[in-house]
Amino acid sequence: MQEPKEIFVDTSRCTACKTCEIACAVAHSKGGNLYAALMESPAPKRRLYVEWVSPDKHVPVLCRQCEDAPCMHACISGAISRDERSVVVTDTDKCIGCWTCVMVCPFGVIGRHLETHKSYRCDRCPDRETPACVSSCPTKALIYRTAEEFSHGVRRGAASELVSGEGK
Amino acid sequence: MAADRADYLVIGGSAAGMAAAQVIRRQAPSSRVTVLSEEPDMPYFRPMIPYVVTGRKKPEEIGLQGNGPYTAGGIDVRTGSHVDSVDVSRKSVAVKGGGRLSYGRLLLATGSRPYIPPEIQGTDAQGVFALRKLSDAREMARRAGDTNSAVMLGGGLLNLKATFALLERGVKVTLVVQSPEVLSQLMEPGDAGLIRDALDKAGLKIVTGRSAKGIISGKNGVAGVSLDDGSEMACGMVCIGKGVRPNIDFLPGSGITIDKGIVVDKNTACSTPDIFAAGDVAVTFDPVTGKRIMTGLWTNAVEMGRCAGYNMAGKKTAYAGTFGIMNATQVADMPFVSMGIVHTKGSDHEVHVRASGSTYRKVVFSPDGERLVGALFVGDITGAGMYRYVIRGNMNIGRIKPRILDGTLHYGHFLKG
Ligand SMILES: Cc1cc2nc3c(=O)[nH]c(=O)nc-3n(C[C@H](O)[C@H](O)[C@H](O)COP(=O)(O)OP(=O)(O)OC[C@H]3O[C@@H](n4cnc5c(N)ncnc54)[C@H](O)[C@@H]3O)c2cc1C
Repeated sequence: MQEPKEIFVDTSRCTACKTCEIACAVAHSKGGNLYAALMESPAPKRRLYVEWVSPDKHVPVLCRQCEDAPCMHACISGAISRDERSVVVTDTDKCIGCWTCVMVCPFGVIGRHLETHKSYRCDRCPDRETPACVSSCPTKALIYRTAEEFSHGVRRGAASELVSGEGK
Repeated sequence: MAADRADYLVIGGSAAGMAAAQVIRRQAPSSRVTVLSEEPDMPYFRPMIPYVVTGRKKPEEIGLQGNGPYTAGGIDVRTGSHVDSVDVSRKSVAVKGGGRLSYGRLLLATGSRPYIPPEIQGTDAQGVFALRKLSDAREMARRAGDTNSAVMLGGGLLNLKATFALLERGVKVTLVVQSPEVLSQLMEPGDAGLIRDALDKAGLKIVTGRSAKGIISGKNGVAGVSLDDGSEMACGMVCIGKGVRPNIDFLPGSGITIDKGIVVDKNTACSTPDIFAAGDVAVTFDPVTGKRIMTGLWTNAVEMGRCAGYNMAGKKTAYAGTFGIMNATQVADMPFVSMGIVHTKGSDHEVHVRASGSTYRKVVFSPDGERLVGALFVGDITGAGMYRYVIRGNMNIGRIKPRILDGTLHYGHFLKG
């Protein structure tokens, strides 16, 4: 099996233009284009967040697909699993909106959809070759590659640094 | 009869037991993994049983197998199997109704059961419930169809979940709480305002500062409840939510060390070789206070069970411990998360509270103000997991403290350089 691709961030290239946030929300809208998305109710939700780190760094933050995803093991309704693309997904039919996943995600990237009372997060755009955020990024700060291609261990390094102590 | 033997034997087929079995299957694929569980039902997501009371879910829709991370096959689960005793020298267990099973390694994951205060008279009447098992949920669902009023004894989260299930069924519910306010385990009375408002709006009647003396029964079981102030309330069902006690009845005499629950070391191992324990039945520790605690948390049971699974399969893994309080949920339309130390009355913790009309946020720091030790978020729980991460890691918060105070913490703050 080919190693699954992942979304990497080159923070030195991010200018915080937030094009990725808009592209994400549009990609997850019903209409699928900016104009329709603007009019939609409930408003489409972005699943990545460009954050600012003092003094001058910007970091797009999104689901890291943790190896032993704390959200998946903590979920009290069995709604979270890893799909065939190796992406951690939430089955909205099973999600009961108890927010246990929000409480255990150390990256803070699981959102609450208030209108539907379900949690949501990056789904890696299952219907696209390349996730919308990555395609839209004008500075190529978002990179979609296999971990191997990206240079060994960057993701593992980041994820394990943060989730140590969150089970194995 | 051929001797029945499992390489890995698990007693209790729920969060801790099944999480461990999953790990063992993956770590030691050719081994025999057997799970003995007293309940007649195959393992299921216990926190989902209120949905069986409402009828929103059928029992078969909340099964563990094949859902979430529970995808490993080849686990021999035997339902209706109650273990009567453990013989640690012969390395075997006795199953009720005859039969012994020997083991290579044993996991005790028998969880807990509701505590029914003995001072309440008449709790064996028909229509008195303590919602714990799928079988309780089925019976509650039936009873809810035959009655229009219920009295809930205890204002904890579990009873609130049962309350909302009954409200959804059109039952009138009165909650009798001994403490001055609901959810006293998860927050102080002064912190519960928004939730109390939401509960009042949801049509729930709450009586605080009162406890039940006895159950009044008639020819159809429960007919009412008598309270300690001499008053009586008529109702067709009663639900008791007064906490849980570990299931350890089969252990006395076994030689396994017990101190309220089953005592384990940091690798989830018991005092006796080749025996491990995890979940509600085990005594674990709080990573912040270092104190020994017992929890009633699905999240902890799974995590500890997984850890036990690794240790049993030979991969030494330390358990990071858990906070006794680590709850997320939504009551009525009010989401909240409570974790770590949140009871601060009379303590010297540094406490910061921010409240608006629809949100309430309390963060608790160590007395020197340098470590985050607890957090309560009501209304807005955005990014709660990051705060949990900071608490659990006993992190020196230094430059991120202002972010913690104003709720703008994000993952970027954890990145090095
Ligand atoms: C309605 C409800 C809602 C909840 N909501 C939440 C929530 O939102 N978040 C959260 O963290 N927790 C929640 N909990 C608590 C959570 O369900 C428990 O903490 C968790 O199930 C504990 O798992 P466990 O594996 O340790 O034990 P248990 O789930 O108690 O399972 C133990 C199993 O062992 C069996 N057993 C016991 N003794 C024997 C014996 N001698 N021989 C054979 N089998 C035996 C029992 O029958 C049972 O099947 C909720 C609980 C309930 C009832």
